Amino acid sequence: MLSVEALKIRYGEVEAVRRVDLTVDSGEIIALVGANGAGKSSTLGAIAGLVPAASGKVVFDGVAITGLAPEAIARKGVALVPEGRRIFASLTVADNLRLGGAVHQPAAEAKLREEEMLELFPILRRYHRVKGGNLSGGEQQMLAIARALMSKPRMILLDEPSLGLAPQLIDTVFDLIAELRRKGLTILLVEQNVALALEIADRAVVLANGEVVLSGTAKELASSDLVRQAYLGA
Amino acid sequence: MIAQQIINAVSLGGVYALLALGLAIVFSIVGLINFAHGELMTLSGYALLAALVFGLPFPVAVLVAVSCGALAAVAMERVAFRPMRGASVTSLLLTSFAVSSLLKVVFQNGISARPQAVAMPGWMTGAFSFGDFTIGVGPSISIVVSALALIALEVFLRRSVTGTAMRAAAEDFNVVRLMGIPASRIIATAFLLSGLLAGLAAMLWVAQRASVDPLMGFTPVLKAFIAAVVGGLGSLPGAVAGGFLLGIIEVLLQATLPAAIAPYRDAIVLSGVIAVLLLRPQGLIPAVRVQRS
Repeated sequence: MLSVEALKIRYGEVEAVRRVDLTVDSGEIIALVGANGAGKSSTLGAIAGLVPAASGKVVFDGVAITGLAPEAIARKGVALVPEGRRIFASLTVADNLRLGGAVHQPAAEAKLREEEMLELFPILRRYHRVKGGNLSGGEQQMLAIARALMSKPRMILLDEPSLGLAPQLIDTVFDLIAELRRKGLTILLVEQNVALALEIADRAVVLANGEVVLSGTAKELASSDLVRQAYLGA
Repeated sequence: MIAQQIINAVSLGGVYALLALGLAIVFSIVGLINFAHGELMTLSGYALLAALVFGLPFPVAVLVAVSCGALAAVAMERVAFRPMRGASVTSLLLTSFAVSSLLKVVFQNGISARPQAVAMPGWMTGAFSFGDFTIGVGPSISIVVSALALIALEVFLRRSVTGTAMRAAAEDFNVVRLMGIPASRIIATAFLLSGLLAGLAAMLWVAQRASVDPLMGFTPVLKAFIAAVVGGLGSLPGAVAGGFLLGIIEVLLQATLPAAIAPYRDAIVLSGVIAVLLLRPQGLIPAVRVQRS
């Protein structure tokens, strides 16, 4: 469904991503793991069109999307839930959701979709008229995911969904991710918490210094010495 | 007398508020202080003059003039600012100076450097009285128009999807694009609204003076810029508050200062601005902007 080929990203002189190749098949959860600064978020940014690729190619559903504007990529059915959630703090939960689905469907359909989201995230129904900035971190993460789902994406890119959340909330978020996959959504998950990521993912790709150092099924990686020593503290 | 001064103050404040709001809308989204905003106002003034010279009825002429301001703003974005998208703040600022200077020269050489009289309808300069109070028709219209424009803008920003997207874009433009909403649509709408507001402000300004000249927009937009900064640059409620505050203070000082001190009015107003910014560097009602890593 998605393939990233020989992706390179530069910020001025700094090469943030030297070479990343990965593929995501329909219905899979692929975890992209690695230390801080390994190039995970930059890779997601390049897929979503926020970060220009210095070279390489991103293909979604057989169509090259490299160099397209973020809005064009979003319309093709790829939704990014950015790191740090970045919900619209001064807008109500309702308005955050409304923007998420605005250009992807007629208004009546968007209303139905919003109802589905409120079913999936009951907390958002309770805070429907509350400003996004007044929600807690966990609630904001729910809102950010719900906002991305409003567009009925075929693939969702999750950037560090566990960051800054209490352990109990992390479980809730990851249960939700598992549920989304059961519903058929394809997910590319960037996560610093490697143990958690490997638990939920089908396959995983390990990045270090902007390069893929290891990839395989989540099971294989969880038992690999490199991953155990470097990321799982074993 | 006092009632008349209050009406004048609110009326001037309303014009500043409309202009400051136009500056703030564009700034909140593109991060550009559009110094050519004054020329949009001037252009609308000339459009009114031309429409009246061509014999259009006054309401139609006003409609044409305001539309010209709005369209000119969209054209300005398309021709001058879109190619500069993503450029540094300094480059954007210089571009807006260039557009401003260019338009001024076009007005001076293409039309005339001297003020041109605009034949406003007679009723505009009339007045009506309530008992002891005499209130000018012009300032009253100005207040009503400003109030309606502010309400209409508020409804647009709250209710429509594009308006909501603009409020969101002021916070985090990239995330709005991630929602699939085209950047160009948001930016073009911001310029369209700022042009509409500049056009309306131009009508109110010309109505009080019955003339237009190539530098007409300079002073009011400078004041509007000050109002926007005092209110909190990029904050829309701040721009409105700053506009009214500045207008009211100016008129009240004008009315109450003894003749010997009157020439220092602007100095006193600007000292007040400095005081506000020392106490509240982010302005009276700071803009919401998300800290990004």
